[in-house]
Amino acid sequence: MSGAAAHDCWKRIGTWGDRSCPELKLHIHCRNCPVYSEAAARLLDAPVPEAYLAQNARHYAQAKTVARPGTRSAVIFRLAGEWLALPTAVFREIATPRPVHSLPHRRDRVVLGVANIRGELLVCVSLAAALGIPGQAPAGLRLAVMAREGARFVFPADEVAGLHRFDDADLAPVPATLAHAQAVYTRGILGWNGRPVGVLDDQLLFHTLNRSLA
Amino acid sequence: MLFLLFQLGADRYALPAAEVAEVLPLVALKGVPGAPAGVAGLIDYRGTAVPVIDLCALALGRAAARRVSTRVLMVRHPLARGDGRLLGVIVERATETLARAPGDFQATGLAGEGARYLGPVVHDPRGLIQRVEIGALLTPALRAALFPPETEAVR
Repeated sequence: MSGAAAHDCWKRIGTWGDRSCPELKLHIHCRNCPVYSEAAARLLDAPVPEAYLAQNARHYAQAKTVARPGTRSAVIFRLAGEWLALPTAVFREIATPRPVHSLPHRRDRVVLGVANIRGELLVCVSLAAALGIPGQAPAGLRLAVMAREGARFVFPADEVAGLHRFDDADLAPVPATLAHAQAVYTRGILGWNGRPVGVLDDQLLFHTLNRSLA
Repeated sequence: MLFLLFQLGADRYALPAAEVAEVLPLVALKGVPGAPAGVAGLIDYRGTAVPVIDLCALALGRAAARRVSTRVLMVRHPLARGDGRLLGVIVERATETLARAPGDFQATGLAGEGARYLGPVVHDPRGLIQRVEIGALLTPALRAALFPPETEAVR
């Protein structure tokens, strides 16, 4: 079958017609049939206008922009003057502020006390103290609940900006001027709304928080 | 091994896809006055000037038809010094690919001095497909015009 006889056979005797074409037994669907794909290739034989050539020339003269896929997701939050991020997977919820009850006989700066989250008492920690971020304790306008491998903590944050997707290639190295304790926990620096955001290593952070409970 | 298929006249030819950096649609080219036959012009390819040859003009003596299916293959052209440069090759009907083992190609037994770039052939239900050797695509005269010796030395 060729030429004009085949120009729309798929509509007459093929998948979109009465299905009487003998080739259908072999190809099942017209899209598998060489007659159909040849007809599609013939569409590409259309002549090109001048504007098409000029437009293509302009397009390929530009540098190629490769959009990197955002393969990682993080929650960006603020502690005092520092913008930080932790993987979205460790967050369980962002709660409204509520009283944090201090624990008797505990005088360390990291464990602040316990907070009531949906009827459960969870340990409230100060990330700023754990990371060695100077300045006053966060006002605690939000309480972030995070969990990892069975361990659950709550920490007060001044602001939670929301989710942000990024790629590992977007992470800049940690500057040498960053305070030592904080640099240890930071995987890299992410540019976000013109601000540097320290992406924290959740594994290391949980390890430290677990040890601070002992 | 994946091959890119195209047509010269009514016959089909194959080029190893690994040698093709990118397939562009037909673009407006900057003409090169005084260039040898077969040179279609220069393309501004992402900021670098890349010479473009018209395989139809080289092989058949007529310019490639201005159709959507006529495309510019950006091939990595090996130079004598082992360093590669990009070369644009205008071919007609570059709309298909073909996966074949290199061993499926059979020697033709024909050696044309005028078309040294033609290699062994393979067959499929629609007929024979001949392989095109990128390295032999340019005649010495064309190579000297497109890639003068001093540019090779600089790179």
